[in-house]
Amino acid sequence: MARGVVLMSGGIDSPVTLYLMLRQGHDVVAVHLDNRPFTDDSPLEKILDHLRVLEARFDRKVPMYVVPHGPTQVTLMRNTDRHVGCVLCRRFMWRAAERVAIRENATFLATGEALGQVASQTLSNMRTATASVGLPIVRPLVGLDKQEIEAIAREIGTYAISTRPGVCCQAVPDRPATRTSLLQIQREEDRIDVEQILDDCVRRAVVM
Amino acid sequence: MPYASLKVCSNRGALEAVPEPPTRLDLARVRTAFEAAGVSVLDCRVMLIARFEREVTVGQDGRLLIKTTDEREGRRVLERVEGLLEAARAR
Repeated sequence: MARGVVLMSGGIDSPVTLYLMLRQGHDVVAVHLDNRPFTDDSPLEKILDHLRVLEARFDRKVPMYVVPHGPTQVTLMRNTDRHVGCVLCRRFMWRAAERVAIRENATFLATGEALGQVASQTLSNMRTATASVGLPIVRPLVGLDKQEIEAIAREIGTYAISTRPGVCCQAVPDRPATRTSLLQIQREEDRIDVEQILDDCVRRAVVM
Repeated sequence: MPYASLKVCSNRGALEAVPEPPTRLDLARVRTAFEAAGVSVLDCRVMLIARFEREVTVGQDGRLLIKTTDEREGRRVLERVEGLLEAARAR
């Protein structure tokens, strides 16, 4: 089985992805992009509880990297077009996860994305977001609808954790772009120092 | 600036206040007023994140998100923010 990095958000979908990866016997490392102060402490608390539940179920430890993402969001807000903020945010998440994967000798990235759930998850946006990384991306939930994902989450005991109160991401623009082109996104990224931003956040990652 | 209601946000983790009637804030002025009152501010250009007793996000449209679910505490913070927004407007 392969070694991979699973992106964890604290929502309903990512623990289901982690569960499916563990069930298949993959060796996984979790990565959380910590969005404070645009959220509160709740995503991190939920993820720690998700990991406790799944580690107990599979009787194994899942290492987790917490990568600061709030400073990246501030840079994006100050320097780039707000409407494409979700795609730019996702590109930095992918890049940070890929850096962790390289450090951990992992060969794939996995996420709980499903098509069309939120503005950032259109096919067009997924394509522009993931063009920022080279590792293969696994999306075990992409063909499932929300009810199917929630049913699995309930069965494995992560649903009640995911649906606890929290602050939703304050960095989401009022009208996020649902169709973006790579050229448009690269033009926005020309206004910022992508490598410097990534170096700064990955250097400050905490392993739990 | 009048805030008619203070209600729990959709994710149930904070309180949200929306100005009535709709407004547009000059965030540079708001930041100056907050900092003059000793409140530290993270300026994100399109919003401010201010450290009152609880963290408060201030949008250009005047929307406030107060990171507490305790209504009494939220009202106390809102009162203070409203006063400073008035001061910012008067500058």
